[in-house]
Amino acid sequence: MLNDANIMRIMEAAMSRNADFADIFIEKRSTSSVGLLNGKVIKAGAGCDSGVGIRLMAGTNVVYVYSNDNDAESLIKLAKEAADALKGGDKGMIKELQEKSFSTPCDIKIDPMSVKKSDNVDFLRRSSDLALSYDPMITQVAASYTASKRMFRVVNSEGLNKEEEQTRMRFSIETIATKGNEKQTGRIAPGSMRGYEFINEYPIDDKTRECCDTALRMVNAGYAPSGKMPVVLGNGFGGVIFHEACGHSLESTAVGIKSSCFTDMLGKQIASPIVSAYDNARIKGEWGSYYTDDEGNESSDLLLIENGILKNYLVDKLGGRRMNCNPTGCARRQDYTYAPTSRMSNTYIAKGNDDPKDIIADTEYGIYCSQMGGGSVDTTTGEFNFAVNEGYMIRNGKIEEPVRGATLIGKGAEILMNIDRVGNDLELAAGMCGSISGGVPVTVGQPTIRVSSILVGGREDEEA
Amino acid sequence: MIDIRTAEELLKKALSMAPEYGFDEYEISYSSGTSMEISVFEGEIQSYERSDEQGLVFKGKKNGQMASSATNELDEDAIRYLLQSASESCNVLDDEDEDFIYCDPDNPRLIYSQITDAFSKNTYSSFAKLGLELEKDIFALDPSIKAVDYLSISCDRGLEMKMNSKGLYAYKDSDFVSLFAEARAEKDGQVKTGGHYWYGNDIDKFDKEAFLKVFKHKVTDKFGGSSVPSGKYRIILGNEAVISFFSTFMGNFSSYAMQKGISLLQGREGEMIASECFSLKETPMLDKALIKVPFDSEGVMTTEKYLIENGKFIKALYNLKTANKEGIKSTGNGMKGGIGITNTEIIPGDLDLNGLAEEIGSGLYITELNGLHAGVNTISGDFSLFCEGYKIEDGKITGPVEQITVSDNYYSVLKKISKVGNDIISEYMGSGEFFAPSIIIDDISVAGDK
Repeated sequence: MLNDANIMRIMEAAMSRNADFADIFIEKRSTSSVGLLNGKVIKAGAGCDSGVGIRLMAGTNVVYVYSNDNDAESLIKLAKEAADALKGGDKGMIKELQEKSFSTPCDIKIDPMSVKKSDNVDFLRRSSDLALSYDPMITQVAASYTASKRMFRVVNSEGLNKEEEQTRMRFSIETIATKGNEKQTGRIAPGSMRGYEFINEYPIDDKTRECCDTALRMVNAGYAPSGKMPVVLGNGFGGVIFHEACGHSLESTAVGIKSSCFTDMLGKQIASPIVSAYDNARIKGEWGSYYTDDEGNESSDLLLIENGILKNYLVDKLGGRRMNCNPTGCARRQDYTYAPTSRMSNTYIAKGNDDPKDIIADTEYGIYCSQMGGGSVDTTTGEFNFAVNEGYMIRNGKIEEPVRGATLIGKGAEILMNIDRVGNDLELAAGMCGSISGGVPVTVGQPTIRVSSILVGGREDEEA
Repeated sequence: MIDIRTAEELLKKALSMAPEYGFDEYEISYSSGTSMEISVFEGEIQSYERSDEQGLVFKGKKNGQMASSATNELDEDAIRYLLQSASESCNVLDDEDEDFIYCDPDNPRLIYSQITDAFSKNTYSSFAKLGLELEKDIFALDPSIKAVDYLSISCDRGLEMKMNSKGLYAYKDSDFVSLFAEARAEKDGQVKTGGHYWYGNDIDKFDKEAFLKVFKHKVTDKFGGSSVPSGKYRIILGNEAVISFFSTFMGNFSSYAMQKGISLLQGREGEMIASECFSLKETPMLDKALIKVPFDSEGVMTTEKYLIENGKFIKALYNLKTANKEGIKSTGNGMKGGIGITNTEIIPGDLDLNGLAEEIGSGLYITELNGLHAGVNTISGDFSLFCEGYKIEDGKITGPVEQITVSDNYYSVLKKISKVGNDIISEYMGSGEFFAPSIIIDDISVAGDK
């Protein structure tokens, strides 16, 4: 690893020309994983990587260079190349390095990286065996476990000197139900920054059965209808709607260059008055958490929307320069091979007042989406799409037959205004978010909500 | 970055140490990559990225089980870490299907260099000049273009060297230049975005005029769109959408997916699975392909083959492990620890895009499918996707449509293809290029405004 003297030599090289700011990101990562198919361990692997990223800024111009050659002389050469490539700006000063401070958002009793692979296998095999004996229609079960440790240090020309350690683990169980040529899946994929005790406490048997039930119901389901209709979105991963339809458009990556549909909307009504939403990176032990962001700023519990009014954007250093405001501690990257950008962490719609049962009971006709898949958004137009993994028709206030193959599409701004019920059953769920700074762990969440009208893309007019 | 000789010594060292950890067969590879990228925004080089990366991947067989491990650290400690962690992984594996370390006795030395002068020619200053000019040209295309939100030009070079205990020495290298731009247009209160890409290995072959023509169409022709009533439509699936759609379902041609019962193509070789007008072929050494692939990641020579020929499912894709399970030879599709496909082509028909529109008479021309990572069930083939496109009226492509989805099933779509066009384009997909024209699909479900 680089010592302080060499770090400062790299910093001097980076700041030798016209940079007004530079930061150095030093990272070391290790992973361990196993994968089972139908109870047999077919994959087991491990990896270990380290590298350094050097970022130079001159106003809003940025040069980013990275390498996994940790030799100080090579990095100094790279930093000089970066300095030569940076345009504009006035040469800045290098401040004395502060004493290093350490943080970790982990809540760990048993380190997941220390657990033997054979223990991971035992846990996954228990679920796998249960699923395979649950119903003859459950024909395949894929199960996997990954633990990873990420340590990084950020030093910048303003003297900042921070270090953070993040240990995450995630497992997934995917069950496939088969009926003739039809195959449908049920999936659970919880993740956390808690220790292996999370696994020991996890109700794996019940969750495996639920996962099988989803696959079995979906393989017997008919197709969803098409057209605009009320949609009730279940709690937990249903929050992906907010993540896609709103969250990405609040990132300074889009707002800072005025390409977001929510540009210049601070203080304005962008959602129904019953909607409040947060991006809280400081929930200890949560999958999407961090205490120090990837440019060294302290993360925050950020109020995004309060009673429908837009309160804050997610701003990183570059975004702050473009928007003339302070960063909110949301700069993230997959690893040192990406420059950091504004990203979400644990993003959710706050709980409301309604009993979820009443929301269904008060819906004459529509779709209840109990499990959402992923989706995507164009942050400029706000147009989003996301897939329904498990859906049911609602008729006369009752949940009726399961339906499959539905996609929900719309424009973020319209959907947010159309939320007309918010339940009291807030739940968070783990996911991965891909964007220009790579894939980062995020949590999405919400209570049960109802949107008065969304376009559902299905195909009701065919035989299942 | 270490030089190639030092890397070779490191690999030899790892091979000599592997038996100490109980491995019977083993392989180690070294890879390195260099990249450079510029982004332009509002008349300035807003960002510049430059990187050097290298790493080692070990694969070893012990007690009949094969495991791998990876690191980007390059010293003896790193090698010990690789061997130790792969050895531990072997201890927990209980895969019933045997995997192999391989060397073709007729081709023990596989060397294929495709490095061009891309890196010496594609300098920071040449990219910067082109990027800044291109941004100006994009703004000049149409007054509705208000911003070029993204414009980047990048150059990547990579090499991989591999040695194994069976005597294989494999080396390949290549480089790649790509350009992507996205703009935002505004008109009558509506905002639209559109982007276009180019790739190659010689920036001098970038045809700016051709690029701008397509770019303008993709950004400025979307205004004034409306939805259409839900129902069944005949559609032209535009060439870009064809590539994104068919590449999403390519995994179903993997013999691994078939053997594990997660591909509905299992046991259907020889069966008509598509319309007679549809043929899908892999040609690893395809003349027009930017990066040719003479051998796969397992050291097996690649082969030219039809996956679908005139509608008939001909052949699945095999690596050493899946081929052994069925007692046949690998098809040379062992890629990165699994099964992959190299340069692939949907064989073109006779009609150009206008000809396809005339053929349809009335229907939809779908140019873009969104949400392919989520809105599809790759196993069952069901999909429901948000899309963009245009109406086709009286045999002509007319006004844009918006806020619609198309829904159907991949396997049904294969049989509903009624014409294949000749307007071939290509896209680079990671281990090869996908070449495809636009096609007509009959009778597809569209969800619109009713």
